[in-house]
Amino acid sequence: MNVDIKDVTRKFGSAQAVAGVSWVAGAGVHGLLGPNGAGKTTLLRMMATVIGPTSGTLRLLDRDPGAHPQCREIRRRLGYLPQNLGYYPGFTIAEFVEYFALLKDMPPNRVPAAVASAIEQVGLGDKARAKLRTLSGGMLRRVGIAQAIVNDPHLLLLDEPTAGLDPEQRVAFRTMLREIGERATVVISTHLVEDVAAACSEVVLMNAGRLVFRGTPRDLVARGASVVGDGGSGDSPLERGYAAVLAEARR
Amino acid sequence: MRPATNARAGSGDEIDPRRVWLGVAGELWRREPSHVERLASRLLRSAGLARALVITPSLMLSWLVASLVVITVGAVATAATGTPFVALFAPPVAACGIAFAYGPGIDPAWELARSTAVDDRLVLLVRALVVFALNALIGVLATLASSAARSGLTAGAGSGGAQAVGSVTYGWLLPMTAICLLSLATSALLGSSSAGLVAGLGGWALAVVGGRAADGAFTAAVTDPGWRLVYLSMALCCGAVAVFALRGVRGPR
Repeated sequence: MNVDIKDVTRKFGSAQAVAGVSWVAGAGVHGLLGPNGAGKTTLLRMMATVIGPTSGTLRLLDRDPGAHPQCREIRRRLGYLPQNLGYYPGFTIAEFVEYFALLKDMPPNRVPAAVASAIEQVGLGDKARAKLRTLSGGMLRRVGIAQAIVNDPHLLLLDEPTAGLDPEQRVAFRTMLREIGERATVVISTHLVEDVAAACSEVVLMNAGRLVFRGTPRDLVARGASVVGDGGSGDSPLERGYAAVLAEARR
Repeated sequence: MRPATNARAGSGDEIDPRRVWLGVAGELWRREPSHVERLASRLLRSAGLARALVITPSLMLSWLVASLVVITVGAVATAATGTPFVALFAPPVAACGIAFAYGPGIDPAWELARSTAVDDRLVLLVRALVVFALNALIGVLATLASSAARSGLTAGAGSGGAQAVGSVTYGWLLPMTAICLLSLATSALLGSSSAGLVAGLGGWALAVVGGRAADGAFTAAVTDPGWRLVYLSMALCCGAVAVFALRGVRGPR
């Protein structure tokens, strides 16, 4: 399995961000849903090997990220888009994506074609030589996605990837995710349930650091349908399912 | 956004225009690495590490020019007055460079870079070493220049070479090492370049003020041999703290 998490916790001082999460995920697109402060970003950062767990075990791409050589191998096959994408304003799009291709240890002779492919995939081919400081928020998000996919990752972790994308771009992005999900594990953390409905084969819902639901989008819809009579909230069936699971978890 | 597989699929005898375009675009958008980057790439055996090195904030041209100006002013003042201004200026200038070599807030994409295969401890180490070496080189040149000018003014002959080497080694190289390691340790421990900067500048100010209080001269921090042991101890302690603080920078344990 590409992601194998057992009883993972993560504390920041006295605050417990992730409280005993166990999760196994193979190829496919997995949506990580939850309210603010649920621990989604912390879980994603642990999977991105940016921070380590306080306790529990984590195996990624059948390797132990705590062991240095294995961690390096994981990182070579990892794509990560953090919630806040830091960027170098003076870099062009191509330079930025190339920088991360090099940091991911890609063979230098493969880098130019991979950079061009990633930039084309996010639809920024006509802006490849534009400086990052001249781009809109949505375009910067797409640059972030381009650097995440430049190494053709086996594990792709995206934190709020569709923030700032227009509806057309969002639809194209979901298509791309589905396609990557056929051969890799894609985890997207999002607040937008329509992204989950359209792109994800599995939904994982977190609340207060715990995993409170795991199933298909259809399963989540079914959870919402069962509580509509009790005044379940949400505009779409998936939102109603989301609200129902959260309400149950908070009881 | 477009599907990925079409772009990379091989198609036997047929020509895939998209693939052709990607090849062309890759060449069109390709950045030509500078000579320095190529050399660094060869020496470090990593194109990623070399790229990370050449974009170090405290190795940018504007930063280097500012450092040169400060040390040159020090060299001129040293030559004119005999007071070791180069020795007084070199440590804090290098400490600032070390503080601004790497870290959150300095590298905009720091979090992203931490999830990549190139070890960020290695990035920090390489950047810190190069910043230190460059500052040391500027300091040596400034010391030699001011020393030569000074001996020209006083004796008319250049016998100050050995003296200059001595003043480099004991006068400012040791304090510079100690102050740079203080700056590095503080930055690493607190995860803040500003904290490293304050520690470096503050530590040096304390040394200068302390030297003046003890010996009555504000140059005592770089001229009194009694301070050497202090700097050496400080360098060892700060080096140990930096290693301790950086052990957790990488790796999820």
